[in-house]
Amino acid sequence: MTPLEIARPRPSGRASAGAISNGVTRWLSRRHPRYIRSLVYMLQASEYNIGDFFRWHERVRDFRSVEKRKQLVFSAKATALLVFGWVVLLFMLIGAVIIFLSVSSPWNYVLSALLLLEAPLVVMVGLLLAVASVRVIQGPFERFIVACAKKRLAEHRGVKIAIAGSFGKTSMREVLKTVLSEGKKVAAPPDSYNTPLSIARFVRGLKGDEDVLIFELGEYYPGDVRALARAVQPTWGFVTGVNEAHLEKFKTLERTTGTIFELAEFVDASRLYVNGESALARSRAKSSNVLYTREGAGDWRIENPETGLLGTTFMLTKNGAMVRAHSGLCGLHSLGVLAAAADIASRLGLTNAEIERGLARTKPFAHRLEPKQWPDKVTFIDDSYNGNPDGARAAIEFLSSLQGRRWYVTPGLVEGGARAKDIHEEIGRTLAAAGIEKVALIRTSVAHHIEAGLNEGGFNGEMLWYSDMPACLAALRASALPGDIILVQNDWPDQYA
Amino acid sequence: MKTIAVIFGGRSAEHDVSIITAHIPIIDSLLASGKFDVWPVYITKDGSWYADKAMNDLSFFKQPEWEERLVKWKKVQLSFDNGLKLVWPGLTSKKLAIDVVFPSMHGTLGEDGSLMGLLRMANVPFVGCDIFASAVAMDKVLTKQVVTAEGLSVVPYVWFTRTQWATKRQELLAAVRKLRMPLFVKPVHLGSSIGIAKVKNPVELENAIEVALRYDEKILIEEAIEPLIEVTLPIIGNDEVRTAECERPLNRTEFFDFKDKYLSGGKKGGGSGVNNAYSEVPADIGEELTQQVKELGVKVYRTLGCTGIARVDFLIHADTKKIYVNEVNTLPGSLYHHNWKKAGVSNMELVLELVRLAEERFAAQKDTTYAFKSDILNKVGGPKFQE
Repeated sequence: MTPLEIARPRPSGRASAGAISNGVTRWLSRRHPRYIRSLVYMLQASEYNIGDFFRWHERVRDFRSVEKRKQLVFSAKATALLVFGWVVLLFMLIGAVIIFLSVSSPWNYVLSALLLLEAPLVVMVGLLLAVASVRVIQGPFERFIVACAKKRLAEHRGVKIAIAGSFGKTSMREVLKTVLSEGKKVAAPPDSYNTPLSIARFVRGLKGDEDVLIFELGEYYPGDVRALARAVQPTWGFVTGVNEAHLEKFKTLERTTGTIFELAEFVDASRLYVNGESALARSRAKSSNVLYTREGAGDWRIENPETGLLGTTFMLTKNGAMVRAHSGLCGLHSLGVLAAAADIASRLGLTNAEIERGLARTKPFAHRLEPKQWPDKVTFIDDSYNGNPDGARAAIEFLSSLQGRRWYVTPGLVEGGARAKDIHEEIGRTLAAAGIEKVALIRTSVAHHIEAGLNEGGFNGEMLWYSDMPACLAALRASALPGDIILVQNDWPDQYA
Repeated sequence: MKTIAVIFGGRSAEHDVSIITAHIPIIDSLLASGKFDVWPVYITKDGSWYADKAMNDLSFFKQPEWEERLVKWKKVQLSFDNGLKLVWPGLTSKKLAIDVVFPSMHGTLGEDGSLMGLLRMANVPFVGCDIFASAVAMDKVLTKQVVTAEGLSVVPYVWFTRTQWATKRQELLAAVRKLRMPLFVKPVHLGSSIGIAKVKNPVELENAIEVALRYDEKILIEEAIEPLIEVTLPIIGNDEVRTAECERPLNRTEFFDFKDKYLSGGKKGGGSGVNNAYSEVPADIGEELTQQVKELGVKVYRTLGCTGIARVDFLIHADTKKIYVNEVNTLPGSLYHHNWKKAGVSNMELVLELVRLAEERFAAQKDTTYAFKSDILNKVGGPKFQE
């Protein structure tokens, strides 16, 4: 065992004793005062999706510690639910006391005890009913808001660009916004505003004089992209790629692809950009779509690309014209996105000089292949918001191109569904082939597949295991040497614990 | 999981530096390793002992009213019953057995062997040099006398005590006049350059002596080497030793004072903790000189009987390249982790290795017989004793 190694995944021995212990902990923790807050947090983190919440609820062993990576945000809805939960509990306790005191038969004792013991169940059911009721009330109200936004958008004179895909939507949005802003007035929703209500909120804030509006279209279930596109009515579209990112919800990649390509129903084929480096997206693309890859996009060709921690440098050429470009984005996989941005910018009337300036202003986005400096010349690459197979492949490719002792840190990827094993084994094999020196894995339900892939790929480096990401990062801070490069791939949200 | 106590603070001029060393890198690395139950044991400037895990975070000591919070806690006592135990007395008394101790004390009543003596009495493994090396290294004069006996070079010096200064001032000044100016006047037992003055003429001398004697009852006056290359070498190990990189302090002022060592900012070197902004690692002094320094460093380490960790300081005449042993520090500030990192040893590897060395030495000491059976007590009152 190396000095850094904490523990490997626990062997499955003593399973029955462990199961009993877990069962007791779960039962007791549901009767802990923290339980109500945990329920509200779980509902909030599941975006009030009762199915997702319930699946998570069934997995939790200890309800006292579900807030690991994030904390409950005391929004109006969450606060109201929290208060409601406590009120329900209080009524249950008062009811139990009243029944206990007004003894008329031995059954009163039993009923009183039942009320006390099963109060957590009643609280949970009460909260779920409350969420469902709010949704019923909210539904028409939300539809009204979305309808208003749709009307406003229809009247808006700006060019509307919609972005769909399993991954890379935010990066594409930010690159487009940065490049097009050199010659146009551009507006795009902040953060991950990709649901009908959040887009409506964004539309409400528009001034009306914007030249370009950029929207991300989020997808969880078939029909999602179509619904959003119907509201936005885009004239230009981008499909950033298709992979297993939400496979747990979509079940099959065909359904994922179909949902994402719902965007094509709204955009002229010659105005739909498709990521040519995503095999599934490419397979669905029409010949008249614009494919973008690290070779170029549309009529733009990329030459002499170089990438490193300071960004990516390349030349863009089109019909004899040349743009010398430097972007702060890291990794050759970002070339396609940059080329696509240059192409649409050109088609929307920006000059080559404006495109060059716009590309130069692109920089890494927060938590997406974002290089940072730790003390003692240790480079930390934060890729913690990048949790999909294509992103992982790109990150490993970039890491392997760098000089120094390289660390790849990951808890694995979530929502891989039936393909989780294959995806993670592939990551392991890619790491082994890339010659990464150290791989630090967080003990999750999928990380052992990466280990299997590493072993299968003949990994020669050092493999380390940690209980969670904070413990891992603390250990890395104490273990890093000058010149080390540490890449953290994805974070593991609480709801997948 | 082993329980480890990190002892820091203490009745020393280097009290605050000790708090930094305890946290960066010791406690941080021990916690990050996940291998230890880490108990910070803090000794106040008046000698009270406290132990509470809230002190595992350095930010505790940055709170405006941390001392007020501290005095509300129960003081901790020590028990030597079958090893070392921390004891919180009172109605709800609590005892905690300690498996290993990591002393993080600089200067008097800690680094000088006092704490090591206590820990030997407690029969518990502890990190760093043992009582004898610590005591010798704490006395700069004693260090010079010991290494000189082994044939190593030191710069010409004179030493005396506060009492001698009070009674034989002229005699001592006459001895000092035989040294070549400029001179360094140093308290013998203090580290971190506290109380040290560089004297360029006889007028400044007496004042510098008075200042140094305020900090220590024994002082040292030695010739300054000019032009000077100052080099320091961290070393770890027991029987087998490993050297870090030769490090050359980059003087900001005429000599390193406390501010240079611990408070100066700057970008050179980077890193956290102390000693990262003012030195060149590895020292650009050529391969041959580097090798000589490393060999001499190991010789000094062994001569003083150092174990665990120490740092040997050298003075080199820049023209003649003659190397003089200056002093030995048995607990380098923040373990000189910045230097070890450049030598390819991470904070965690360094700290865990020091714990391993402590246990190795403790195991080896078990082979030593300390008790001896005799019937001398039965003979008391016999013919020989009656004479």
